[in-house]
Amino acid sequence: MKAVTYAVLFVAMAGFGFGVYHAAGALKTDSGRIVRPSSTTAPALPGTMYFAQQGVLYRFRDGSFTQITDDAGWTQVSASQDGSELVAVIRHLNYSDVYVLTSSGRVLSQLTHHESAQVESSHWSFYLRFNADRSRVFYSYDEHDSFESYRVDLAIYALAGDGSGSVVRWTVPNDYTGGDTDPLPLRNGGLIYTEYSIDDKAQVHSQVWFVSRPGQVGTALTAADENCFQPALSPNEKTLAMICRHAELQSTDLVIAQLDQIGQTIGPETVLVHGQLSASPVFSPDGQTIAFLAPVRPGEAFQLWTVPAAASASPSAARPITENLGLDSSAPPAWVK
Amino acid sequence: MGDFASGSIGKTVRRRPALSLPRTSRIIAGFVIAGLIGLTAYFLPVVESSTTPVVSSGGNILNPIAGPTEPFTVLLLGSDDDSKFAADQYNTQSMILVRVDPASKQVTMLSIPRDLWVPISGQQGAGKIDTAYQTGGVDAAVATVQQNFKVHVDDYVWIGLKGLIKVIDTMGGVNLVVTNPVLDDFYPADINTSSPYGYYRVALLPGPVHLDGARALQYVRSRHGDLRGDFARSERQQELLLAMKAQAKHLNVASLPDLASAMNGEVKTSISLQRMRELFAVLEQYDPSGVHRVILDAPYTSEGWAGGQSVVFPNWSRILPLVHQSFPQ
Repeated sequence: MKAVTYAVLFVAMAGFGFGVYHAAGALKTDSGRIVRPSSTTAPALPGTMYFAQQGVLYRFRDGSFTQITDDAGWTQVSASQDGSELVAVIRHLNYSDVYVLTSSGRVLSQLTHHESAQVESSHWSFYLRFNADRSRVFYSYDEHDSFESYRVDLAIYALAGDGSGSVVRWTVPNDYTGGDTDPLPLRNGGLIYTEYSIDDKAQVHSQVWFVSRPGQVGTALTAADENCFQPALSPNEKTLAMICRHAELQSTDLVIAQLDQIGQTIGPETVLVHGQLSASPVFSPDGQTIAFLAPVRPGEAFQLWTVPAAASASPSAARPITENLGLDSSAPPAWVK
Repeated sequence: MGDFASGSIGKTVRRRPALSLPRTSRIIAGFVIAGLIGLTAYFLPVVESSTTPVVSSGGNILNPIAGPTEPFTVLLLGSDDDSKFAADQYNTQSMILVRVDPASKQVTMLSIPRDLWVPISGQQGAGKIDTAYQTGGVDAAVATVQQNFKVHVDDYVWIGLKGLIKVIDTMGGVNLVVTNPVLDDFYPADINTSSPYGYYRVALLPGPVHLDGARALQYVRSRHGDLRGDFARSERQQELLLAMKAQAKHLNVASLPDLASAMNGEVKTSISLQRMRELFAVLEQYDPSGVHRVILDAPYTSEGWAGGQSVVFPNWSRILPLVHQSFPQ
């Protein structure tokens, strides 16, 4: 009997020690548990949103998420204005390609074929965007320099949406800067995009530019020292939202400004979200709200947020929509009616 | 039955209570000891690290920090430690001098170009500064920096490629702002491979991002597609250090064993983990505006050829006043 008691006590003590070991582990800093969107819900937003997480495309509607593709390296999804078609990137180790999909995730066509047997002869496609009539897909593409194999700079191109292979080059990037990103085709045929440059003091700058036709020398909408990038246009194309890091290296601001397409200028900027590592804004279909990506807690992965798209909105009006999704912050979600 | 019952009761009365005080104390003590064993097992990696500072072959514990308010200088060394190299005979692709002044809450980071052409400690003549570690270990690397830059190095930290990946992953990744697209068509595919001379394409897209260890390494190691070459890489290395510092603020004491395990064999330092924890605690008080970053590009250096290779020549008449100002003795 005594032996049994001792054995039970010994097991209990060992169990207690084991429990303490695991309890200590449970106190570790939770650096943000990432879950699949389809296993969670979020506050409902008007319209339908599409986004990528860890190689899969999801649809977010009425507060619930639906997986619409398999895990194939999907990222950077964008939608046509009427929401009937999507265009998205499949990213592989050395290249990425452009695909057109239905709104339910079925692949309609592959617009590019960028794989090459020689690693450095492969190509990237990023930042896809339909133009208003869906006849073209604008994107960033790395044209190789046959004389300087180390130079890899993205330039903005427009590709026929029907898969005919017709391609138009829109911008000429600054050498060895990484190039031009974030194309936003305008209804009047112009283009807004981000251009990167390196000044004579070796400082990197990003500026939002406007160009009215392919190959034309454009106009900078923002100053070099504002370091603005990732522009987004309201549906009526009168308001520009963008991310600016100003002189900061580890924080960004979400700002809006009125856009004058004729004068090729923007009005005074209003900071909607300050110093929160905000990224990749997108307007709601009614133009009243901006969704953007930012960590909920410092150091964690990026989540979906919204903020009213009004200059009078208080900074505290920003609210997180998701808590634990870990979204790709390099491009905005697509948001349609 | 009645006798049995009464006898039984009598027996019970005579017996010592099931849990008399001394026995209860022993049981409680047993549970306390079991709990302590559990805690000790959990923190064992930390205990090992803090009692035995990890030093590289030939490395010494340098000059311990005098006190919590005394300024100190740490030499950060980063190496390609893939299978192209013999064990512990690596080039230091990254050399950053960090001076921390707790009193004024100022941090200065000076990146030393890896191709800087200087006299190497323990060798005849000059060579690229990144070869000092390869030929003479950490002692030679530290001595070469001290002799050429006329600074006093209190401690060093060396980290290899896998170590950086592990540490950042253990921290849960880092958040930083990628200032421009980082594109490299010839990024070395030399980790966890039997053919370390391969390469692949890297594309890190600009803007705020959450990077895991592998992508953070790509960010600080890529150098081919940037106008500023190695200097851009130096700048990105400093940015990653700041991001890691920011991320470390969110770690608590329970995270230390994982960190210690990640660093085991991958990070070599003259600073004990306990002191490193103190260092992070000091750094927590720093505002980003108190961090000064120095890159030795033109006019502090110029590019050229020596010993049949592309090198960076120091302009000491400009560098030393800058160093003396930034790293006062």
